[in-house]
Amino acid sequence: MTADPFAAAAGLVSRSAAAYASSIPEHPADEGFFGPGSVAWRVSADLSSPVAGLRALHMQALHPLAMAGVDQHSHWRQDPVGRLAATNAYLATVTFGDRGSAERVAARVRRVHEHVRGVDTVTGRAYAAGDPALLLWVHATFVESGIVAAGLVGTPLTAQDADRFVAEMVTEAELVGVPRDLVPASTSDLDAYIASVRPELLCTPAARESMDYLLNPPGLGEDLAEIWQDVRDATVAALPGWAHEMYGYAPPSPPLTDERRAEIRQALGVLDAVFLGEPGVLEARQRIALRARAARPA
Amino acid sequence: MKKLLAATAVIAGLAGLAVLGRRVGRLRLSRGRAAVQLVIRGGLRYAGSAPRLFAAAGEHRQQLRNDLALQTAEDVATTLGAMKGVLMKIGQMASYVDDGLSPAVRRTLSRLQDSVPPMSPELAAAVIQEELGLPPEEAFARWDPEPIAAASIGQVHRAITHDGRAVAVKVQYPGIAETIAADLGNVALLRRMLRITAPAQDVDGLIAELSDRVLEELDYRREAENQRLIAAYYDGHPTIIVPKIIDELSTRRLVTSELADGARFAELANWSQAERDLAAETIYRFTFRSLYDVHAFNGDPHPGNYLFHGGGRVTFLDFGLVKHFSMEELRPLVDMVRYLCVEQNPEGFRAGMVDAGFLRPDAPVSTETVVEHMAVFYDTVRRPGPLTITGDYASAVVRRFFDVRSPLAQWVSVPRSYVILQRINLGLFAILGELTATADWRGIAEEIWPFIQGPPATPMGEAEAAWRAGRSSAAEPVGLGHAA
Repeated sequence: MTADPFAAAAGLVSRSAAAYASSIPEHPADEGFFGPGSVAWRVSADLSSPVAGLRALHMQALHPLAMAGVDQHSHWRQDPVGRLAATNAYLATVTFGDRGSAERVAARVRRVHEHVRGVDTVTGRAYAAGDPALLLWVHATFVESGIVAAGLVGTPLTAQDADRFVAEMVTEAELVGVPRDLVPASTSDLDAYIASVRPELLCTPAARESMDYLLNPPGLGEDLAEIWQDVRDATVAALPGWAHEMYGYAPPSPPLTDERRAEIRQALGVLDAVFLGEPGVLEARQRIALRARAARPA
Repeated sequence: MKKLLAATAVIAGLAGLAVLGRRVGRLRLSRGRAAVQLVIRGGLRYAGSAPRLFAAAGEHRQQLRNDLALQTAEDVATTLGAMKGVLMKIGQMASYVDDGLSPAVRRTLSRLQDSVPPMSPELAAAVIQEELGLPPEEAFARWDPEPIAAASIGQVHRAITHDGRAVAVKVQYPGIAETIAADLGNVALLRRMLRITAPAQDVDGLIAELSDRVLEELDYRREAENQRLIAAYYDGHPTIIVPKIIDELSTRRLVTSELADGARFAELANWSQAERDLAAETIYRFTFRSLYDVHAFNGDPHPGNYLFHGGGRVTFLDFGLVKHFSMEELRPLVDMVRYLCVEQNPEGFRAGMVDAGFLRPDAPVSTETVVEHMAVFYDTVRRPGPLTITGDYASAVVRRFFDVRSPLAQWVSVPRSYVILQRINLGLFAILGELTATADWRGIAEEIWPFIQGPPATPMGEAEAAWRAGRSSAAEPVGLGHAA
């Protein structure tokens, strides 16, 4: 099949922001599956989260069946910005929404996944998006990317908090349909799991095209495009060496200096300020902050 | 942005001002008598009692998001670190160059201002303890733990000193100075951000100047020094009031000054035009007296930094962004105004522009065109007689400033030293335009221009002349008059 060209990335920030703002509830029925004291809330709000997201997509795309599912069924190429915004909305709801809302959006995702089946043209293997093995790969790489990105360009997690984060996130995997006992619940289990999947990974043309697009999104706007260069550098630096090899990226040599990391953090701060400038984002952040305040020990 | 940036937007006034306010009509009719009254009023400056001022400052308390108050230094870093504090400062400085910003950038900068909550009472108290070695309840006779106003990198508390003075205490966020100083080092990122905002400028020069001004603002001792200098110069002035600094309660992260109270800029909308004209005249005199006599310019001519007392009396607040000029920097400006407005010498004006670095020496543009383009900035002082500054005029000045299609655009730039002076055009005139102020601006300017030092043109000018005559010669700064 011929690959469609990707649509421009105009509106990346504004549509993601709108999706985020509308997913943070005004009056949640409860504190959701994680709650104000969770590491999940902290990681989600960390400055490094755009890098975490892009790194996760890179890792996820290396699973040929996961990539095929996205490429063949979603509107990924026609509306990549919309697809990313929808993911943002989903994650925000699961993290900050009440339990009822989280279960509702997760149920919707599971229903959509039922229809996502096909055959990957590269490996010839059949796939189904509801396959717990694929869902677990997507889940595990997302969790790992949050830890790695925070360590590289955000507020690093202690080993203890990283373990807690992995354990907290088991629920997130369960929500999309992975049996609880299959999900890594500590960083060492997580690392072992990711290593175990590596033989299945492959950089397909769809993966390469998709990630090329994400690292250099056309139509981003001049000023944002320059900031994106720092996001891109951080994303590439956050990937493991074997992923560099698979994508054919030159590994950053030498690894990011402290000075470079500080520069990237500054660029992420500007990006965050731009995000904050979008309608509703500040109010959404304040809703979260107030809930976190209420939960702090007096 | 304006609400929160109103820095020390609190502060004070005098007993008896209402009486003076009602005399405006007479002030217009009977110059001599009004001038005498103004001088007398100057002596009443400390008539306001501390408890009354303290109470008034509480009544004018800004609405702040105390429920989201920053509780720790980490909270400060999260909110204002990673370039956000720098962006906020640039936003503050750029608030007068709106036409140079895209709507998205403007919205971002404005939202950033809104995103900064105050410090919790405990965090503010910790800063006081670190700076003064005492908790606020001991350092002051009376201390209000809730801030009365936000400042861009701090907040203002009201207090009463042990010797009974009502004061405004500006407390800086802990850690903010270090964060902003580090972030200002990322010149490449600043360049990216500012390139879009400053069409006709040397961006690196602009960044260097903005960085210097921001770094200065981080050290409140500098602000206290500026305010001390300017307050000393205007001591006893009939209409210009600058709150005095309390030296022993001012440090790197604290600046304590006399508390003042008065009407806010927005309230002037309900004042008579005569009152508005007088207020405008005082602001105008303050701007140009400071420039030509003190060689200093307050780069933050922001409506929130003025308090109005009627009868033309205005309290000036917040001296965090003061630019001092050397004689060499001022002289070309003086030459330009003299050649254009007084001596009618267009070639001299052009030479002054080149001398100052505004115009490239090799610009292939006729002097006629240069004058035609630049004259709008001098429209208020080219001819004697009463003239009304309208909002339309203020916008025309701003539009002209940012007119990249002008035949001059590629040959002019604003050299680093003068970057801040743009606010005369973009800030001062915007405020005067909003007041639709009428005055004989040329007559007032001639009083102030060092190469003329003309006779009083208005009743206020007479009062000011009497005040100047009464000042000791030792306090007189070096003028440019005879040197120019």
